[in-house]
Amino acid sequence: MSSRDNATSATPAASRGALAAWLGDAVAAVLFALALAQLLALHVARDLRGGGGGDAGFGIGGWAWMLLLVGAALARGALQGGAFAIGLRHAARFAAELRARVAPALMVSAAGRGRLIGEDAELAVTAIDRIEPYVARFLPLRRAAMLSPLLIALAALPASGVAAAILFGTLLPFAIGMALAGSAAARASEAQLGALSRLGGLFVDRVRALPLILSYGAEDRVTRQIGGAARDLAERTLGVLRIAFASSAILEFFSALAVALVAVYCGFSLLGLLPFRAPESLDFAEAFYVLALAPEFYLGMRRLAAAYHDKQQGEAALAALAAAEAPIADHAVAPPLLGAPAALVVDAWVVRHPEGAAIGPISARWTGPGLHLIVGPSGSGKTSLLRALIGQVPVESGRLYADDAAIDPRALAPLCGWAGQRPLLLPGSLRTNLLVGGANVGDAAIIAELGALGLASLIAARGGGIDWVVDDRGSGLSGGERRRIGLARALLSARPLLLLDEPTADLDAASAARVVAVLRAAAMTRTVIAATHDPALIALADSVVEIG
Amino acid sequence: MIEALLRSARAGQRRAVLLGMAAAAVAALSAIGLLAVSGWFLTGAAIAGLTGAAAVKAFNYLVPSAAIRGLAILRTLSRYGERLFSHQAMLFALAEVRAVLFARLIAAPPATALLHNRGDVAARLGGDVETLEEALLRTTLVPSGIATLAGTMLLMALAGWAAAAALLGAAGASFAVARRIGRDRIAPALDAESAALGALKRCYVELAAGGDDIAVYGLAADVCAAIAAAEAPLHRARAAMAGADTLVSIVHGGLTGAAVAAIVALSPASAPVVALAALAATAAMEIVGGLARLDIQRWKSRGARARLDAMFPDAAAPASDGAPAQPIVELTVAGALHRIVPGDRVLLAGRSGSGKTRLLETLTGLRDDAPEDVRIGGLHAAGLPLAARRSLFALAAQDAAMIAGSVADNLSLARPGITRDEMQAALTVACLDDVVAQLPGGLDCWLGDDGARLSGGQRKRLSLARALLAQRPFLLLDEPSEGLDGATEARLIVRLGDWLAETGSGLILVSHRPAMRALATRQIEIDGDPG
Repeated sequence: MSSRDNATSATPAASRGALAAWLGDAVAAVLFALALAQLLALHVARDLRGGGGGDAGFGIGGWAWMLLLVGAALARGALQGGAFAIGLRHAARFAAELRARVAPALMVSAAGRGRLIGEDAELAVTAIDRIEPYVARFLPLRRAAMLSPLLIALAALPASGVAAAILFGTLLPFAIGMALAGSAAARASEAQLGALSRLGGLFVDRVRALPLILSYGAEDRVTRQIGGAARDLAERTLGVLRIAFASSAILEFFSALAVALVAVYCGFSLLGLLPFRAPESLDFAEAFYVLALAPEFYLGMRRLAAAYHDKQQGEAALAALAAAEAPIADHAVAPPLLGAPAALVVDAWVVRHPEGAAIGPISARWTGPGLHLIVGPSGSGKTSLLRALIGQVPVESGRLYADDAAIDPRALAPLCGWAGQRPLLLPGSLRTNLLVGGANVGDAAIIAELGALGLASLIAARGGGIDWVVDDRGSGLSGGERRRIGLARALLSARPLLLLDEPTADLDAASAARVVAVLRAAAMTRTVIAATHDPALIALADSVVEIG
Repeated sequence: MIEALLRSARAGQRRAVLLGMAAAAVAALSAIGLLAVSGWFLTGAAIAGLTGAAAVKAFNYLVPSAAIRGLAILRTLSRYGERLFSHQAMLFALAEVRAVLFARLIAAPPATALLHNRGDVAARLGGDVETLEEALLRTTLVPSGIATLAGTMLLMALAGWAAAAALLGAAGASFAVARRIGRDRIAPALDAESAALGALKRCYVELAAGGDDIAVYGLAADVCAAIAAAEAPLHRARAAMAGADTLVSIVHGGLTGAAVAAIVALSPASAPVVALAALAATAAMEIVGGLARLDIQRWKSRGARARLDAMFPDAAAPASDGAPAQPIVELTVAGALHRIVPGDRVLLAGRSGSGKTRLLETLTGLRDDAPEDVRIGGLHAAGLPLAARRSLFALAAQDAAMIAGSVADNLSLARPGITRDEMQAALTVACLDDVVAQLPGGLDCWLGDDGARLSGGQRKRLSLARALLAQRPFLLLDEPSEGLDGATEARLIVRLGDWLAETGSGLILVSHRPAMRALATRQIEIDGDPG
């Protein structure tokens, strides 16, 4: 299954730049510790000389360490901020690529999957947006949390092997504790997510049932119930958090223990009071340096723990996207037919209306060229039937034949010029919008087509001719103008089949008459199938199918 | 508004708030103390070690090394306490906020309450309320942050006034810069972000509405281009935010370095005390940084607060008294006056779309737009509050809505204090007793969302049983036997007729089924047009 491949290609990678910045932060921490240790060593030396107070005896070296101290602190600020900024850029690219892949596929398969556009928008916009913090922060932090303790221990090694060993030594019980607490936390947090969505569901349900609640005066009872459910959720959440906090307490404990053990070891080593024979002898600068490094050892992991929320949200969103990929793949475009069929036959089709009602069975035989109409009262399913012909509405039973071969309607789509009730306007020039059908048509032909449909004055009024730029809100086009742009687009596409939904609706009598003439002419060379109520068009038809 | 609600919700969690504050202060001070004592101990030990054996003997290492271990444990425990108590306070305060907001929504006039998209309401009560977490955490952590800073200042005083001034200056400057950058750069970027996200969603919806064109003409590339164009402002806003965050972070880092450098350079104290002060300052600045980041969060919840205020306006006027009106209904339809009192059985007739359902909903107070002249107890219905109207009518609506819950949950909506025997009796009248008896758990059977476990006809009858249980002077039935087989319908009509005779309730019926219509003794023709 290709959906499996898609799922893996959607797995985001950590940004290397962000990882480098986080590790750079650890290096700057090492430099900060080094500079502070050297500066305090100067103080110790001064105390030993018996020199009191003031800045005497700092010297050039002292000021250089001072500069390093401030520089390292500044660099840490820049690297911590920069790590997120770099991660965010990476995440934005990932989100853009994901959206570019998912959005068009969702859009063309929405009807087939029986999903509302609003639900898909949640997926393509909100869910993908939730992945960004996960990619920007959590993923690089996860790599950094593994590498930065190594880096810190490595930096401590030259000063004190024992201190480095102490830091590493605390890691083992820490890892065991975390593994135990972590799996408990994961289980509890799943239960918690379930409770949260149930509470959300309860809100939705009670808001839906609001008329019922109001008409029986049940507000107090329902509010008490909601209050009880909300407190119940708080209780459960706190239960989850207890475990989560216990696991971070383990982290805190070992992080504090690392500092305490290093401090005590170094102190006793400096006093010469160690109860065992140490393989090394420390001076003050070395001892202080490893002490200042000790809190940095666990810092990466503490940061990672703080980004846990990003992880939860991001992984939930990735799972939702992965779950949507399989149905999308099922509604992929079928391979197109090689040539235009001379006859198109619909045999006992039953089509499912978006609102749930079944339409049909419908049978029809359309031979080309000719003008074939579908008529019926509003709501009888004319639009659904047309959309079923391009595979946009699922067909429950019955078959479609092109020249006696049964075909998938989706294979028909690339042969069709299509003009729906509200044609899509892309941001761009009118020319771009008219030539989406892919035909190579000159400006003169475009202008002639617009003129034939009665749109010449539209262009003249807007200025810019066919280079006039349509904005994303439709540039104040009337319903009839927009409809005729869709019609012109279908006619200019040079495709052999034209599927038109109410081509003369929203038009005044004169404009409608022009459109009727254009369609009659087009039907001399192409197969035109249109849904309509218009008696003028019906009078000229080669065949009429009545539904409903 | 929402601020006042937050305050009162927090006041209800006073104990947890105070414990959280205390634990936070102890946690911060012990974290700072751990590093400070460690530094002091190490430096003192180094000097003693270098001075000679006598100094080593004189050096008291027991107290500091015990203090270090003690502080390490104290830090762990108090951090756990801080998290637990501050989250306990926050979670229960938010539960309270959610319940109050829902009560406000319900208390609003039905016309506005019914207007909201239910997904929106759930989103507001869910995600938007969640963003208030930050405000609640901030109120626990800011006082403890100030206490921590004060405690650290005492340590700094040991190292001289210059050291104390350096830390205070750096902490104050870092906080002030963060607040300023938050206001001047992060707040506008957040506005831009939420506007861009909205625009992106609109762009998606607009394009997706043209799914047919996209499929037919193969416009995937154009769609991608349009979406990329709509995404760009979102990414720009995010980048601006990250830039501002980085700036805050750089300033904070620089100030930390400067404070530590100043302490080391300027402190006249002995080396151990300088070490103590330098490490304490580093740890204190880390805590200040955390508080500054929390302070920046306030801008993030601004939009959520505004949305909550808009959707859940404070019910300034208390719900009007529910004094019931006189149980007399007067309808003027096409110039004729119809008077309905309890005991009457009236059929509202008229073609589809003539407004029969609208009239029923107007009687119960769910809407006020029936074109007929409707009087209840001699008064215009539109002038009567919901509470005065609904106490007269029990409506079994056409959609037979159910709440997600058990059979009993749904029945007990009708009024408080319904016994299970009463429920059984009502189910018997509604001819649903045998169906419920066969459900797993009977009355306690979980029906799922909107009664999904029941068929359309069964839901109708459950809705009818609920209306019977309400014990109102008038029973309003909207197509009660739709979806029922003839035999069941016949049984239902007999039992309902007996129930009406027994209770003396009035019946106002809308039905297209002839058998059902026979239950009525009078007919009022509705034409849907006023006048």
